[in-house]
Amino acid sequence: MTGKGFRSGEERIEFPFREAFWMSVEQIRKRLQRSIIVVGSIALGIALLTHLEMTNVILGTYMSSLGTTMEAYQFWLIVVSLFVCAIGLINANLIAIYERYREIGTMKCLGALDQHVMKLFLVEAMVFGVVGGVGGFAFGALTALASSSIQLGVNVLAFTPVDAVLRYLGGATGLAVILSVVSTVYPAVRAARLPPVEALRHDI
Amino acid sequence: MADYIVETHGLSRHYQIGGVTVKALDDVNIQVVRGEYNSIVGPSGSGKTTLFNMIGGLDRPTAGQVFIDEIDIAKLDAYELAWLRCHRVGYIFQTFNLIPVLTALENVALPMIFAGVPRGKRETRAVEMLEMVGLGARLHHRPTELSAGQQQRVAIARALANDPDIILADEPTGNLDLHTGLEIIDILRKLNQEREVTVIAATHDTKIIDVSDAIFWVRDGQIEREERRTQG
Repeated sequence: MTGKGFRSGEERIEFPFREAFWMSVEQIRKRLQRSIIVVGSIALGIALLTHLEMTNVILGTYMSSLGTTMEAYQFWLIVVSLFVCAIGLINANLIAIYERYREIGTMKCLGALDQHVMKLFLVEAMVFGVVGGVGGFAFGALTALASSSIQLGVNVLAFTPVDAVLRYLGGATGLAVILSVVSTVYPAVRAARLPPVEALRHDI
Repeated sequence: MADYIVETHGLSRHYQIGGVTVKALDDVNIQVVRGEYNSIVGPSGSGKTTLFNMIGGLDRPTAGQVFIDEIDIAKLDAYELAWLRCHRVGYIFQTFNLIPVLTALENVALPMIFAGVPRGKRETRAVEMLEMVGLGARLHHRPTELSAGQQQRVAIARALANDPDIILADEPTGNLDLHTGLEIIDILRKLNQEREVTVIAATHDTKIIDVSDAIFWVRDGQIEREERRTQG
């Protein structure tokens, strides 16, 4: 009896996006608490941005004498808050990914390549980004609408331009995904490059 | 003429620790016959886990070669090594190493994801493997809901998912009590006989040694002696 041929045609290694997506959804679902922390921080940063943008847009459209652009201090406020958000995310990701070193080692024993591990973490980051971005947008938009109505009466809501809202939604989600992915890259790259022996040495 | 599935030539693994060279393995030459049940035996620190890691392609040697199916694994690139681990070798660890957030079924299906097996087929085969190790009633349990023996059985089912030629087991009974350990050894022995899978276990459990066809006694990074318990 001889062994099977090496690298025979039918057998391969792969990790399609579809599988990575389902795996990351499952990972997030089952690690709900940890996921809420990450999604929550993204959402808060995005909510602040959205609140300020939407308030400016609503008030600017209502009182057409005002422009709809952001004031300098608001811009810097957002930059700082997103920066703080990113730092928090990087820390959260360093810990969350470190806790999974054993898992990564095991997955490599099952045939995962470095790039597959990266793919899994990046897809998870994107899912966090989308959920945090949409959730943060919804929250920020609601507070913006609420505060505008309180200040100027419910009529002001009629002045909310729908196209601007959709643009901001797209922008918010995009920004959230970038934020999430950027804060995952460094810990994910470190983790993906671990040789299986190293990864398996870690006890959590 | 024996058919060797694994061979090592002059295999060495040295570590530099604080200016001192530690020789975990030193010029090891072994030959593993296809289809046999093998044990690598030695006390802690003897180098048996290092040898296990070398054979499994989990770590690179400092010198010497490891041949699996006559292929020098040091010459394989990352993709080919991963391919080897996915399709040719199944790993079993002392600490089971199941993914904690996945159920037994999902754990067994995982290697098949990397092998490109479609979802329906994966689940069917995972159920088959779990039933074979006697866990048909625990498909949807998480590792935390399983006993140590059951976790190791899931690990065995997972190791077999892609129908490998070799099962590498590092202290498979290390975390198990006597009775459970015997069950696991029995399962591994049956796999060896019925599926003709070559089993290589690094261990200091005499129960495993007792059922082995070939035993490699390791001490201080070298093969002290080789023992054969069956003909041929």
